[in-house]
Amino acid sequence: MTVPGGAPRAVLPLASLAVATLALVAAAAGLALDPSVLGGPASAPVLLALLHAVTVGYLALTFAGTLQQLLPVLLVTPLALPWLGPLGLPSLALGAAGVVAGFATGFRPVPLAVGGALASVGLWAVAAQALATYLRARRTRAGRATAAHEPPAVGEGGAEAGPARPPDAAAAGLVTATVYLALTVTLGFLMAAATRLPRLAGTLGFPVQLHLTLGLFGAFLLGIAAAGRKLLAMFVLSKGAPGTRVRILTYLVHGAVVSEMLAAFGGLPSRAVTIALLAAAGTLQLGEVAALLRARLRRRLEPPVFRYLLAHAFLPVAGGLLVAGRSQAAGTALLLGYLVLATSGMQVKIASFLTWQARYAARGAANGAPLLRDMIRPGLEPVITVGLAGGAAAAVVATLTSGSAASVVAAVLLAAGASAQLAQTGVVLLGRHGSRPSPRPRAVPRKETS
Amino acid sequence: MNPTVHAIGAGADPEAVLTALAEVVDPELAIDIVSLGLVYTVQIAGAAVAVEMTLTTPGCPLHGSIAEAVRARLSQLDGVGAVDVSLVWDPPWTPDAMSERARQALGFA
Repeated sequence: MTVPGGAPRAVLPLASLAVATLALVAAAAGLALDPSVLGGPASAPVLLALLHAVTVGYLALTFAGTLQQLLPVLLVTPLALPWLGPLGLPSLALGAAGVVAGFATGFRPVPLAVGGALASVGLWAVAAQALATYLRARRTRAGRATAAHEPPAVGEGGAEAGPARPPDAAAAGLVTATVYLALTVTLGFLMAAATRLPRLAGTLGFPVQLHLTLGLFGAFLLGIAAAGRKLLAMFVLSKGAPGTRVRILTYLVHGAVVSEMLAAFGGLPSRAVTIALLAAAGTLQLGEVAALLRARLRRRLEPPVFRYLLAHAFLPVAGGLLVAGRSQAAGTALLLGYLVLATSGMQVKIASFLTWQARYAARGAANGAPLLRDMIRPGLEPVITVGLAGGAAAAVVATLTSGSAASVVAAVLLAAGASAQLAQTGVVLLGRHGSRPSPRPRAVPRKETS
Repeated sequence: MNPTVHAIGAGADPEAVLTALAEVVDPELAIDIVSLGLVYTVQIAGAAVAVEMTLTTPGCPLHGSIAEAVRARLSQLDGVGAVDVSLVWDPPWTPDAMSERARQALGFA
């Protein structure tokens, strides 16, 4: 199998996507068993278990698995330290299971400690690999520029746009998001440990807002913005947009993290500053997606891409709720409405691409290999979109009103959406995909014979 | 934009080469690479065929597969020996390079 940029074989990322989807289904099933947790306190063990099944199990594992392929492609550089992937991803998957089990069983220390440690090790392995790959790409480019006697150009453009250009904003954003993700899980691990270790608790406190800012915004918002910049542009055939927005978005997220650190460890009343910075970051992401769509050549949007775009409707909802002081409902809108919905759309596209690479690339893009769109079951797409989007909306209402009816509706819809997502992933990974008939050539050459 | 074909001497059939290239399809867009205007030039010197082509976007993850498919498909032709596929970014691909059929397929013609 030929994979561009020296990316590893697709087995590891595909396995990560499959396990991640199982985690999403497990979270939805857990909610179906006890929908009332949605309107309950945020510190309830079952709710924390479900949250971590989604964040560490689904989002983090999807993100980490995708990086194994996306980063080498973005940087046009072989993945550095390739042995870290097979170490990091299984460790993250096992760690996620441990963390979820620890919360679900009422904060049991052993699974929480083992799970938190494994997840931290896994994510630091992924972050180290991403950082090393990024630095390798910078060195390679600097070397090329020196060899060509020209300074590296500061500017935007694809990774292959010229030998002297630095890695673009999307790649830098992805690596930053990976480091923030590892920091998030490690901080969570330390917070859990602090509940048993008074000395650690005295030093660390319980910086839950910092944990949330690092994870939801530093890791996932930035990760989706950075990955989406490349992926959305490819899937809608957009001519792209300046990298300024993603670069500023990255700085805003840095600012929000620093602001939260000052609040957590310096006692400064900087929460309002954090909210303002995050609102600005969300607004920039909306502008980025709108700009990519305006520059697109492909008018018709495929269902998974539509789902990714629909997720952005939840960003202003989350922002409005956050400003209104309804932080739990804002978190629900951001997590289930934006992050899960956006990830589920891109996950289907990424799984199709990776499976095509693994199963059909050797046959070549000629000779009847299926098209990517032929690898999914179209009937499942509306179920995923309606289930996950409707479930997220109902969950926000349930969180706001503590209403039992909204909780049940949310649980049913999310279970349907997650199950359909799992079925679609299974179809893509394991299904028999029909062959495409050979096209009728219509080329008329401009022929110059000498 | 149709590719420019330079043929020197007897060897591979230019028409067959173009036909074979039009059988290589971008699996994401479902349009062949000739209709997309991705093939810039084809140089045929006896049994040696050199293709200069581009992609719709730099960093396209499918570039390895598409270039390999071009190489594999042309190698199957009678009279073709060595096949060289070069990816170039200058001139950059623009939508103007697409055929009318490709524009319609993408929904913006």
